[in-house]
Amino acid sequence: MLLTFLNHQWTGFWRSKSKSGTIAAQLVIGFLVLYIIAVSILVGYSMGEIIEKFFPGKEIMTVFNGLILYYYAIEFLIRMQIQELPTLAVVPYLHLNIPKQKLVNFLNVSAIFSAFNILPIFLFFPFIIMNVRVEYSLFACIGYLVTILSLTVFSNYAALYIKRISTGNMKIVLAGLFVLLIVGGLEYFHIFSITSISNIIFQTIASYPLTAILFIALATFIFLTNARYLKRNLYIEELKSSIEKKSSTDYPFLDRFGEAGTLVALEIKLILRNRRPRATVSKGLIFLFYGFLFYQKGIMESNQFGKMLFSAVFMTGNMILLYGQFMFGWQGAEFDGLLANNINIRIFFKAKLLMLTLSASVLTLITSLYGLLSWKLVLIQLSAYLYNIGIGVIIVLYFATRNYKYIDLKKGTNFNWQGVGASTMLMSLPILLIPYLIYLPLSVLINPYCGLGCIAIVGIAGLCARKYWLQMLVDAFNKRKYKIAAGFREQS
Amino acid sequence: MIEINKLNKSYAGKTVVDIQHLVINKGETIGLVGNNGAGKTTLFRMLLDLIRPDHGEILSNGNNVGTSDEWKHYTASYLDEGFLIDYLTPEEYFIFIGGLHQMSVADVQEHLKQYIEFFNGEILDSGKYIRDFSKGNQNKIGIASALIQKPELLILDEPFANLDPTTQIRLKTHIKLLKARMLTTLISSHDLNHITDVCDRIILFEKGKVIKDVYTNENTLNELEDYFSK
Repeated sequence: MLLTFLNHQWTGFWRSKSKSGTIAAQLVIGFLVLYIIAVSILVGYSMGEIIEKFFPGKEIMTVFNGLILYYYAIEFLIRMQIQELPTLAVVPYLHLNIPKQKLVNFLNVSAIFSAFNILPIFLFFPFIIMNVRVEYSLFACIGYLVTILSLTVFSNYAALYIKRISTGNMKIVLAGLFVLLIVGGLEYFHIFSITSISNIIFQTIASYPLTAILFIALATFIFLTNARYLKRNLYIEELKSSIEKKSSTDYPFLDRFGEAGTLVALEIKLILRNRRPRATVSKGLIFLFYGFLFYQKGIMESNQFGKMLFSAVFMTGNMILLYGQFMFGWQGAEFDGLLANNINIRIFFKAKLLMLTLSASVLTLITSLYGLLSWKLVLIQLSAYLYNIGIGVIIVLYFATRNYKYIDLKKGTNFNWQGVGASTMLMSLPILLIPYLIYLPLSVLINPYCGLGCIAIVGIAGLCARKYWLQMLVDAFNKRKYKIAAGFREQS
Repeated sequence: MIEINKLNKSYAGKTVVDIQHLVINKGETIGLVGNNGAGKTTLFRMLLDLIRPDHGEILSNGNNVGTSDEWKHYTASYLDEGFLIDYLTPEEYFIFIGGLHQMSVADVQEHLKQYIEFFNGEILDSGKYIRDFSKGNQNKIGIASALIQKPELLILDEPFANLDPTTQIRLKTHIKLLKARMLTTLISSHDLNHITDVCDRIILFEKGKVIKDVYTNENTLNELEDYFSK
C-alpha cells in the first residue's frame, strides 16, 4: 500500500500542470540540499578544529554540548518556516476501502523523508563517534547518538504537529511568536541560556548514558500524539482549513480616501485571508532585521552611506518590491469582475499607489527604531522612503502591467515561482540601482549628505509628478488590459 | 440600447464570433442559445470590454464600449466565478459592489431584503467566505450582486446552471418582473424551456454567426428543439 501511495505521488509530480516549474524548483532545492549536506559532512568531520578556532581556550566538549540544543532551536524555527505538511495528498483516498491507520502511517512515514532529518546525522555523528568515546565512554557515545536521533525525530514531528494545529489559527501562531520573543530576549540578556541547558543535559548523558531513554520516550510521545491527532482529524474539511466562523470586517480609517480607500480595504483583506500573500508580507517583516547586518558602527561613523543604502531602500520598500512585483496577479482570479464592474481604472491605480505608500510608511516608522543606533540611519531611511514612494512604486506598477501570470493564492511562498517571469526579475534591478546612480557621483564629488539629499529630492519630485505618472500607468494598462485579463483566465 | 457592427473575433485562425449587424432594443429580454463553442461567452466578454474584437465595434447607448467607460455605470453582469472576489464574505462582496454604485451599506442591506427568498437562507450570515460556498450558491451570489446594482443592462451567462429547481423558478419570475421595469437583459442558456419561457427574443448562434433571430412565440421552443436534435 505504502508503495502504491509513493508511486502515485511520483506520477503526480511528473504529470503536474506546471511541470517545468516544479522540476526546476526541485532541482534547485536538490542542489541546495546536496550543498548543505556536503558542508555538514565537512563541518562534522572538522568540528573539533572549528570549535578550537572560534572559541579559543574553551573546553571543546563544553562548547559542543552547548551547541547541540542551540542547533535544534534554530532548526526548529526553520522547519516551522519551510517544512511542508504532507496532508492534502491523501484526500482522494479517504473514501476508498483503505483503513485509516494506513493513511496515517503513510503521512507519518513520508514526513521522515526530509533533508532536515539527515543533517544532524552528518553534522554530529562524526564528532561524537570520534570524540565522545575517547573523552567519556562507549556507552556515553551510544547515549549521545540515541539522543541526537531522538531529538531529530522529536523536532520533526513537533514541528508538523504544531503546524497542523495552527493552520489557520492565528492565536497559536501569535502565542508561538510571543514565546519565541521571550526566550530570545532572555537569551540575549543572559538571564537564561539554551547553551547552558544544553550543556547540563549532555553532561548528564555523558555521566549516565541511560538518561538517553528519556529522549526516546519524548520522541515516541510526540510521534504518537501526532498520529492520534491525525487519525482523529482525517476529514477533508479539517485538513483543508479551520472551520471557525468568518465575519465581515471593514477598515473605517480607509474611508477618508474615498473609492480608492475601498479598493485598498479589499486588497488588505486579500493579503490577510490568503496564504501566499500573507506569507509574502510576513516574510517582508523578517527583512526588517537586515539592518543589523548592514548598519555597522565603523560604516556609520565614516559616513559610508552607500554601504547602507541598499538595506535602507530594501527595508522601507520591501512590500513594494515583494508584493508589488505580482501586483495584478494577486487579483488574477477575480480580474474579469474588476474590469467589468464600475471601477475607474485611474482610481484602481490610485488605490495601488495608496496601498504601497501606506505599506512603505508603516515600514519606515518601524525601521526608524534603528535611529536609536545612530541618527544618520534615520536620514538614510527617510531619503530611501521618499525615493520608494516617489519613484519605486511607479516602476513596480509599470512593470506590473507587463505581467500576465495568474497567481494561486492558496499555495505557500517557499520555492514557489508561480508568476515569476523575466519582468518581475528585471524589475527589482532599476529600483535598487537608481539610488546608487544618484548617490555615488554626488557623494564622491561633494559629500555623502548631499547624495542622500538628492535621493530625497528625486523622491519628492516623483511624488509631485504623481498625476502625470498615474496617467502614464493608466495608458500603459489600457494598452495591455486584454492581454493581462486573458493571461489570468488561463490560471495555470 | 446596443448596436453591434461587423464584429469579428478569431482565435488561431478559427472564427469564434462573426456578427454583421445586430441591434438590441431597450427593454428587451434576449436569450442567446447555441452549442458549446458557438461564441456566446466570447460575445459577452466583448460586450463587457474584457476581450478586444479583431474587427468591428459594439456601441452601448451610442458609445463604443472599448473606448469609453460610460457603459459601466448602467451595466451589471455575472459571467462566471471569475467575477467573484472569493476571499470576501457575501455581505462584504455585496457592500463592495454596491459601493461602486454609490450605495451606502444601509442601501445594500435594504436592497438585499428582496433576495432573502432567492437566497433560501444559505447566503447571508453564513460565516463563510465566498470560496467556501458550493457552485450553485456562488452562482446565486453573483446573480444577486449583478441585480443590486439596479442596472439598465443586465448580462448573465448561463444563470440557471448549477441552481436548484426552486431557485431556477424564482430567478425566472424575477427576470420577468424586471422586464416590466424596462430592463434590458441578455442571458445565455442551454435550457431551452427556461429561455423560451423568460425571453421575448431568441438569438441562435452557430460557430459565431447568428443563424436565427426571432421573437418568441408558441412555436419557438419546437423550432429550437428541431435545430438542436438534428
